[in-house]
Amino acid sequence: MKVLKKIAVTILAVAAIGAVAFAAARAQDAPRGDAAAGKRLYLADGCFTCHGRSGQGGAYNTPAPILAHTAMPFDGFKGQIRNPINDMPAFPTAILSDKDIADIYAFVETLPGPRSPKDFPILNN
Amino acid sequence: MSKGRNSTKASRRNFLKGAGLVGAAAATAVTPPVAANAFPVAPQEKLKAALPGPRQIAAETMAPENDPVNQTTSGGDYMVDVLNSLGIEYLAINCASSYRGLHEAVINHGGNKPEIITCVHEDIAAHIGQGYAKMEGKPMAMACHGVVGLQHATMGIYNTWCDRVPLLVMGGNIMEADKRAPGAEWVHSGVDIGALVREFTKWDDQPASLPHFGESAVRAYKIATTPPMGPVFLALDQELQENPIRDAESLHVPKFQPVVPPQGDAAALAEAAKMLVEAKNPLIICDRVARTPAGMTNLVALAETLQCGVVDNLGRMNFPSRHPLNQSFRRALIGQADVILAIEMNDLWGTLTHFRDRIVRTSHPATKPGTKVITLGVRDLFLKSNYQDFGRWQDVDLDIAGDGEISLPVLTEAIRRLMNDGNKAAFAERGEKLAKAHLAMVEQSKIDATIAWDASPITTARMCAEVYNQIKDEDWSVVGTSIRLSWMHRLWDFKKPHQWNGVSGGAGVGYNLPASIGAALANKKHGRFTVAFGGDGDFMFSPGAVWTAAHHQIPILYIIQNNRAYHQEYMYLVAMAARHGRNVEKMDIGTTIKDPNINYAEVSRGLGAHGEGPVTDPKDLAPALKRAIAAVKAGGPAVVDVVTDPR
Repeated sequence: MKVLKKIAVTILAVAAIGAVAFAAARAQDAPRGDAAAGKRLYLADGCFTCHGRSGQGGAYNTPAPILAHTAMPFDGFKGQIRNPINDMPAFPTAILSDKDIADIYAFVETLPGPRSPKDFPILNN
Repeated sequence: MSKGRNSTKASRRNFLKGAGLVGAAAATAVTPPVAANAFPVAPQEKLKAALPGPRQIAAETMAPENDPVNQTTSGGDYMVDVLNSLGIEYLAINCASSYRGLHEAVINHGGNKPEIITCVHEDIAAHIGQGYAKMEGKPMAMACHGVVGLQHATMGIYNTWCDRVPLLVMGGNIMEADKRAPGAEWVHSGVDIGALVREFTKWDDQPASLPHFGESAVRAYKIATTPPMGPVFLALDQELQENPIRDAESLHVPKFQPVVPPQGDAAALAEAAKMLVEAKNPLIICDRVARTPAGMTNLVALAETLQCGVVDNLGRMNFPSRHPLNQSFRRALIGQADVILAIEMNDLWGTLTHFRDRIVRTSHPATKPGTKVITLGVRDLFLKSNYQDFGRWQDVDLDIAGDGEISLPVLTEAIRRLMNDGNKAAFAERGEKLAKAHLAMVEQSKIDATIAWDASPITTARMCAEVYNQIKDEDWSVVGTSIRLSWMHRLWDFKKPHQWNGVSGGAGVGYNLPASIGAALANKKHGRFTVAFGGDGDFMFSPGAVWTAAHHQIPILYIIQNNRAYHQEYMYLVAMAARHGRNVEKMDIGTTIKDPNINYAEVSRGLGAHGEGPVTDPKDLAPALKRAIAAVKAGGPAVVDVVTDPR
């Protein structure tokens, strides 16, 4: 629950100060990761199976959240991987090192997030 | 010659049926008494003429037997009359000798009525019946070998049972041992073939006479169509189907009168109304409410009267997707509700509980403490023991036995009687908040759908958006979906009773393709445009169903969500490896369908359908859909293989 509360508080705070400021905060928060290595891990270690190759979200036993251009701070991201709050499998260090997680985090940060639906007429039928 | 148990002389049973026999064997027509080697002849050398064989010996020494070769009536004819009296439109079959009497009678006596739907596997026949009944609102029939065919059909029958759908299953059998020919007829016969499906059918019987068949067929139909509905089984004795009708004068077709479904107790519904009116945050959750088009109308009326949210588990077309009170993708409301009305729920405990699939499996209520739960439905009125489809026990506060659809108007009226200016205003305010939340949810769905819009493999959101764009102006009907594919319900405007018919029931893979074709069969005469989504794994369980659709010219646009995997299992294996701290990179072993990739369009073309794909680039999807839709409008099936991201 502590992790959940931390995530929620952080997201709310970030929303309040705006996206640009948040991007800066996120960059400070996260260790430097290798996005290319992260992509390889994301696809090889099964992250994509629930969250989609492009981080668009999906479903496991319950909906799996969107990761593209994630708004989650690194600590929360890592906490969810090590000790998830739901049915998501926990990935121990034997599978993903802290550096691996940083790489994956760097990768999902590079993934394009949502766009305006107004740009897609067929979504407005 | 022995006159014992192996004699070919007409049995007592056939003897008694002599009234329908024509032209007993002519004096010159001689039947060999036994097998050709019954009179072994020692080899002799230097014979000038061959010794007489057994056939010649028999002809010269025995009186001709009473061996009729034609008849003017057949039990199968009567069976067909009974089936037609019930209004059964279709009989899905994989042909089999144990019901050849019925099969021939359907064609020649019935004039192919019920219309035979030829299937290349019995599982396809059962699932076609499941999909048809959910769309048409009444059962069709299927027939198969009672032993080997029924074993093939079991998965379809089990899905039908779990989905509470009526289906009349018939299996051929040869009851009397002395009537069975050597070989296959013995391994195709059983003492109690209904035992195979008894745990997942509502009722079964093995009629021993034609009057018995008539009564049992009508009884079976009545039981199948009485809520809670379900499949029923009749074993058809081969002799009974094939041989002449005895006492035709006294044989009649029993009258079928449908049961009026039970309505919930009026006092209990009034109590429910009081609880709902007094609630601050009432919530309706539902699963298989709508049995008929009236079901959705009745549920909308209830929700609008209360101005409360509806969380639909989508077992049927219960509630319009864009209705402002539709909160199906806002499950957090369950935790805010103070009174929950659960109507015709399949898995109530699962809906009201957070469950963790971890090393130690734990659960806790999704509801807040003190939440009152009211149930209305008939599901628990007929349960069986072995298969655990009834789910875990859920504590409730008011449990009303009654058909949901038929009870809702009474409940709504009871609520209206309790309404006054004060609570009307509160209801309206509640409804406005829910409507805003609904709109926000729809907008969020559109936003989410834009992510990776141009990606290849194609996102499932893009796939669903492209399909809707092509069919939105048709009188469309979605009759299938792949596992956890929810984008249609998030993005499309479902508002007509025939626009959705639920899912498999038993979560048995292999439902989607044949059941969708069954629903398309029902839609055909109504002129609806049928579309279905299904996984590639599901498709490969019974691809032969495509041939049935092509053969019978059943129009359907079938979209394969091709993620080249049994993807749910793929994810489970990743979870297992992670739990064990072991290599997660090889979990595609045994869970994926690649190397080689299957060309589903080519498979479909080979089965007589229009095939498109594999479509890997999203920009190619719209043109492929247009071509496929043209083929569907020309009257046949079209399959579009869309290579997608996993979910």
